[in-house]
Amino acid sequence: MTRASQFRLSELLKHAVLLLGALVVLAPFAVMISTSLKSPGEIERGTGGFFGAQAPMVNERCAMANAPRRDDLDAARAADPGLTDARLMEALTAEVREACTTSPIAFNYGSAFSEAPLLRYLLNGVIVTGSIFLLQMIVALPAAYALSKLRFWGRDAVFGMVLFCLLIPVHAIALPIYLGLAKMGLTNTYAALVIPWVISAFGIFLMRQFFMTVPDDLVDAARMDGMSELAIVWRVMLPTAIPALLAFAIFSVVAHWNDYFWPRIVVTGDRSLFTPPLGLREFQAGSDGNLYGPMMATATVIVVPLLVAFLLAQRRFIDGITLSGMK
Amino acid sequence: MTALAASVTAAPMPAAHANPELRQSRAAWAMTAPALALMLTILVAPVLLAFGLSFTDYSLGNPSFNWVGFDNYERIFTRSTYAKMLWATFVYVITVVPLSLGLGLGAALLIQSVGRGAAFYKAVYFLPVMATLLAMTIVWQLMLHPSIGVVNRTLEAICAQPALHGLLTLQAFGASPQATWLGRVCTEGLPVWLGDRDYALGIVCFIGIWQGFGFNMVLYLAGLTGVPRDLYAAAELDGARSAWERFRLVTWPALGPTTVFVVTITCIRAFQSFDTVEVLFSPGGGPGKSAYVMMFAIYEKGISQNLVGIGAAITVLFLVFVMILTLIQRRITERKVHYA
Repeated sequence: MTRASQFRLSELLKHAVLLLGALVVLAPFAVMISTSLKSPGEIERGTGGFFGAQAPMVNERCAMANAPRRDDLDAARAADPGLTDARLMEALTAEVREACTTSPIAFNYGSAFSEAPLLRYLLNGVIVTGSIFLLQMIVALPAAYALSKLRFWGRDAVFGMVLFCLLIPVHAIALPIYLGLAKMGLTNTYAALVIPWVISAFGIFLMRQFFMTVPDDLVDAARMDGMSELAIVWRVMLPTAIPALLAFAIFSVVAHWNDYFWPRIVVTGDRSLFTPPLGLREFQAGSDGNLYGPMMATATVIVVPLLVAFLLAQRRFIDGITLSGMK
Repeated sequence: MTALAASVTAAPMPAAHANPELRQSRAAWAMTAPALALMLTILVAPVLLAFGLSFTDYSLGNPSFNWVGFDNYERIFTRSTYAKMLWATFVYVITVVPLSLGLGLGAALLIQSVGRGAAFYKAVYFLPVMATLLAMTIVWQLMLHPSIGVVNRTLEAICAQPALHGLLTLQAFGASPQATWLGRVCTEGLPVWLGDRDYALGIVCFIGIWQGFGFNMVLYLAGLTGVPRDLYAAAELDGARSAWERFRLVTWPALGPTTVFVVTITCIRAFQSFDTVEVLFSPGGGPGKSAYVMMFAIYEKGISQNLVGIGAAITVLFLVFVMILTLIQRRITERKVHYA
């Protein structure tokens, strides 16, 4: 075998292994999207290929809710006295079923939004992740600036505290935090969803490391212009830190959009506060197993925005998510 | 301190502030105070509180509580429920950490060495890291559904193909149907997966690996760019002819700091696994409590059942594990990180 063909062969083998891996990695995404496009019958029988046949189907729930009632029958009898009641009923039912006919896609995604307040859940997700990131920055940036650019008694102790807090995983101490919030009557509020995450030792640490690289001259010049220290943080340091801030934003938003553990603990029952993962979990627990289509449609709606954002800005996302690797 | 003061006073300051050092110190404290207060109340106080509560029989809503000494800890180490919890957590960590490290490293090495498609594979393998784990667990649950799941449908199709089936089960080579897993599955019926205690924890581990190895891959890809090229040439001169020798002598040692970090972060994440178990096995923690991992136990005991003392004791145990891990990592990193 020549060296070149040996090289070709090993290259081929590598691709075979990598493709097999890609197949396993992508399989759940394919199943999720494919199921969200199919009719209940196709899901049950495992037919229809990836996109489903998209044959029109009757939304049984809609048909049940609009089933002809006594007064409908009376009205029909008056309009068409020549027919028997059974024939009339048949015609009315057919009419309703006609009106309730939709395509599987419309049925699945329509039910995802109508069976549960999915829009509300998505909005809650945006509110919670947005407030967490905003508050994290309001707390972390001034502290990071003080720890990197100001000289004061106790600085090493404060920084030591930050390093110590880096060791504490917030999920691990969820129970005592939950007790504290419950004692203050804060469970089932937005505050409970946001408060534990407002302090990010990692955010302080990261921004401090970044600010260390900003030249002191920039700060001194701003002071000479008469800026207050706080104004320096927002008007001088913040603009220089946009790339680091963006990476941290991705890190924070992805983590909290996907978080299920904490919302599960502090939100009990109040649907108007559900975040997307809580909403999906309730949908899954509540369905009797026949609603896989709408369930997968809900999952798709929750998962896809982040995946699309990731595919559009892969570098930034990978940098952001692996931030904790840069310690 | 004098040099410091000199450098501060050297810069001209607005006249209104007679003592710039004091002014800076005040500003600094005002700026760190919110962070410091929040660290103390949200992070440090709960750790102490968990420690204190672990010696009580407190439950939320009760006006009073009793000190029970080490009862909660004793229970954790004697009752079979908690033995199952510790075992499930141990098995999960000991399975997920090495496998997701190995797959992450393997993927990184392959991706780095292929000519084309590297960006594609990297993006694909990273997708599960971004995806909501809860949602993907629900998808895996559907895939593993005994009758309508794609996994059993595939197995069924394989079993129905005599040629393929014979090849894969080695029956074509004279093996008995009982000899292979696939052979048994085809003759004795398809697995029920999540309802079977032999598979339950394995599936939780599998989803953990599926979700996490792309993260390790990215860290290893970053680590690989830092391996000096000339080291390979030097190793080859020293007689390291095979790819394996070069990996063993150059790549693996150079990736040391990355590996230490990957092991620590994967361990901490593995300890914290919750979503998968909650979706698949709530309440109870799976058939025979086979997937009763620690975070799920904290949730179920401490919060659902309001047995705060036990929950707090598990929390303390958990924190001890995580702290030990991180301290080991810091020690190793301090010693090793400079040699590359």
